[in-house]
Amino acid sequence: MFRETLIGAWSLLVGMKVTLSHVLRAPVTSQYPRERIEMSKAYRNVIRLIEIDEIGSHDCIDCQACVRVCPSDCIKVEGERPDGMRKKRATLFEVEFALCSECGLCLDVCPTDTLGYSREYDQAGFRRDDFLYDLLDEWRDKEADVRTRLREDEAKKAAAKAAAASKAAAAKKAKEEATAAAGDTGDVAVEGEV
Amino acid sequence: MTAPHATTQFFHTFDNPWIAIAAATGAMLGFITINALWLIWLERKVSARMQRRYGPTEVGPFGLLQTLADVVKLVGKELITPDHVHRPLYLIAPILAFAPLAALLSLLPIDADWVFHDFDITLVLLLAFSGLNVIAIFAAGWGSNNKYALLGAVRAVAQNISYEIPLLLAVLPIVLMTRSLSLHEIASAQSYPFILVQPLAFIIYFISATAETNRAPFDIPEAESELIAGFHTEYSGMRFGVFFLAEFTNMVIVCAVATLLFLGGWKGPLLPGFVWFFIKVYGLIAVMMVFRWTFPRLRFDQLMTFAWTILVPLALVNLLVTIVVLKL
Amino acid sequence: MMRPKSTMELVPGDDETYYLNMGPQHPSTHGVLRLRLHLEGERILGAEPVIGYGHRAHEKMAENRDYLQFLPNTSRIDYLSGMIYNLGYCQAIEKAMQIEVPERAEYIRVICAELNRLTSHLLWLGTYLLDLGGFTPFLYAFDDREKLLDILDSVTGSRLTYSYGRFGGVSMDVDDTFLRAAADYCTYFRKRIDEYHALVTHNIIFRHRTKGVGVMGPQLALDYGVSGPCLRAAGVARDLRKDEPYGIYDRFAFDIVTAEGGDCFARHMVRMGEMEQSLNIIEQAVGGIPDGPVLAAKVPKRIRPPAGEHYFAVESARGHFGMYLRSDGTDVPVRLKLRTPSFVHVATMPVVLPGTMLADTVAILGSIDIVIPEIDR
Repeated sequence: MFRETLIGAWSLLVGMKVTLSHVLRAPVTSQYPRERIEMSKAYRNVIRLIEIDEIGSHDCIDCQACVRVCPSDCIKVEGERPDGMRKKRATLFEVEFALCSECGLCLDVCPTDTLGYSREYDQAGFRRDDFLYDLLDEWRDKEADVRTRLREDEAKKAAAKAAAASKAAAAKKAKEEATAAAGDTGDVAVEGEV
Repeated sequence: MTAPHATTQFFHTFDNPWIAIAAATGAMLGFITINALWLIWLERKVSARMQRRYGPTEVGPFGLLQTLADVVKLVGKELITPDHVHRPLYLIAPILAFAPLAALLSLLPIDADWVFHDFDITLVLLLAFSGLNVIAIFAAGWGSNNKYALLGAVRAVAQNISYEIPLLLAVLPIVLMTRSLSLHEIASAQSYPFILVQPLAFIIYFISATAETNRAPFDIPEAESELIAGFHTEYSGMRFGVFFLAEFTNMVIVCAVATLLFLGGWKGPLLPGFVWFFIKVYGLIAVMMVFRWTFPRLRFDQLMTFAWTILVPLALVNLLVTIVVLKL
Repeated sequence: MMRPKSTMELVPGDDETYYLNMGPQHPSTHGVLRLRLHLEGERILGAEPVIGYGHRAHEKMAENRDYLQFLPNTSRIDYLSGMIYNLGYCQAIEKAMQIEVPERAEYIRVICAELNRLTSHLLWLGTYLLDLGGFTPFLYAFDDREKLLDILDSVTGSRLTYSYGRFGGVSMDVDDTFLRAAADYCTYFRKRIDEYHALVTHNIIFRHRTKGVGVMGPQLALDYGVSGPCLRAAGVARDLRKDEPYGIYDRFAFDIVTAEGGDCFARHMVRMGEMEQSLNIIEQAVGGIPDGPVLAAKVPKRIRPPAGEHYFAVESARGHFGMYLRSDGTDVPVRLKLRTPSFVHVATMPVVLPGTMLADTVAILGSIDIVIPEIDR
């Protein structure tokens, strides 16, 4: 009994030594509003459309894959097929962030990899509407130019393809003729042009 | 009687006794408030540092005025009286907790010639008055008509009554040594701090005092993980604030008694007496805070077992040894 | 609606005893559990857990969405060991559909799951001490947990609801920084464990509060289906990671931590020991992780487990987490029954609590480490 009391008292002193030793160490709190925390590389927040280099803008083609996979039904996408273009372009991309659970499945299924995460982290609002994100907002003023360029690109590509096709046809013809004539020259350039 | 004291004289200079009473009461209330403000700040800072936090930093330099902001908030809050309470008891309990404080503080000699009252039995009076606290707690718990509050009140009564015995038994050896019940005389009699000859009594006193003030690890009447807030579950606003003030003032009182009985009161080199007094008092309070932020809480029955099977026998043995040594 | 008959009925004319509702809003019920206590003074005569306050219908949600869409739910069932549940669910589907998982992904899964087990045990340690009235160990544990969450955050992008697993692997590859951070943490945390022992385990008050309190003997534990640390604290060496190794757990050397007594202290010791074992596993896994892809190349586009019954269980931080899946071969499960440990543990309360004190209720409830959404799934 007496021994136990002494051991107990000693254990209490050891405990106090541990807590007191922490007094000398620096606090670990980050003083949040004054001190901004760097979010991790993988940090997940509301999704945003990221720029794809070849397009010079986002590349949402209104495939509805993210809408279908979203467990919370928080994504709404509408799109149209601009005249003279093969692919569709999104005309509306809304995320109801209040419903979002940040699972990241939409990023996984996106065929053009144009979805990414926003880096902001202290969104706050007074109404639900404050969390209705219009993802096309930052891209909208560029959209007309992008479409014109894409259309030109497509036209160019189509022309190139047509040219390549005719060239290939010509080459094939020539090859056939050559084969018929000599028998052993192969043409590598054909593939490269297509 | 001892020589007339400066403070006593100061209050005697008023011609009208009412003005003297008003001035003295004002001084007490001012001390209670400022002391609580500073102690709460200290507690927050001590706990924060132990837990590697900053504690309050926003209001005032080093967050010193944070407690003031909290008090303003508490004062501004509506005083809610729930329908199911026993109104008279419920309303009187905070007053009961607060009222004895001024009387208790007036008994403490702060310096050799700085004391409000001094007569033969200040120690007895002080211990008797501090026992009143339990009545306030019980009134609060019973009057709240809430099961958690009642449990807290019952625990508080059992605990305070149990711990008063070792507390008194730890004080007695000092009384026997100095043959006086006056705090001023006991403190004056210490040519060396009595803790050197009565370390066991000091430890017993300090543990019992921690229990008396319902401080962790003996805070079972308000054990927040079991009883929400214990006896003051149903109190809000400044009524709760008053209980809080009382708790912190009680800490000062028990630590001041410990200082006077065991640590030589105001005695110390270089600095003026009252500075030494407050250094010792707040040092003891800091130790209590370290207790609170280090240890888990005891269980109710273990608390009682501890008082009756360890503290009381030890205190009795200590008392007997003191008597024998004194008689030799 | 039919209500189940309560086992504790009010006795008319009984003035000596009373009933106390602990919860659903109470600081120590760790959420919205409600305990109806029948008390005589401070002594408990009867206890009855009332559950359902935090019901989120996870099982029903599983029946209304496809397999992939249920994935985010899994980390919300037990939000403290979300990673283990998340990966466990993926493993269950992989087993049903026989998807091969790349080596590297298996190693990442083990590392992440064990880091998550550490966070869960650390949170338990902190809140348990908070229940017992010690505030400071709580913040130390949370500080350590915060470091772990940062490590997990750096690869999953989330702190609690990871959604990190994918059928056939994991969603993102880890880099060297992550592996180094995990290894460094192991070194750091071994020192911290000693500090916790000095501050908590050896503390006389803590010992008095937990020793011999809330005894759950091996027989009782097995009868009720108690699992995880609570079962091992009763002296039964059962750990799914060892007994029915899933993933690549059979490649790692670690011990099943058991203790004798089945009381709160034994449960504490088991969890402290398990943290060390988790460190061992993490160190081995970090040392042996191979290069390669983290997602299987051949994952079917449509997740349709073959019709029939499938069962898979993992060892979560709280115990045996089982998933019973009945599939009819379509995109949506017919039934996904989740066998969660907390539900079983809280069911033992009417047997364990009577005869203890009110303060013990808090100690016992804390020591079995319940998570409410896991009970009300």
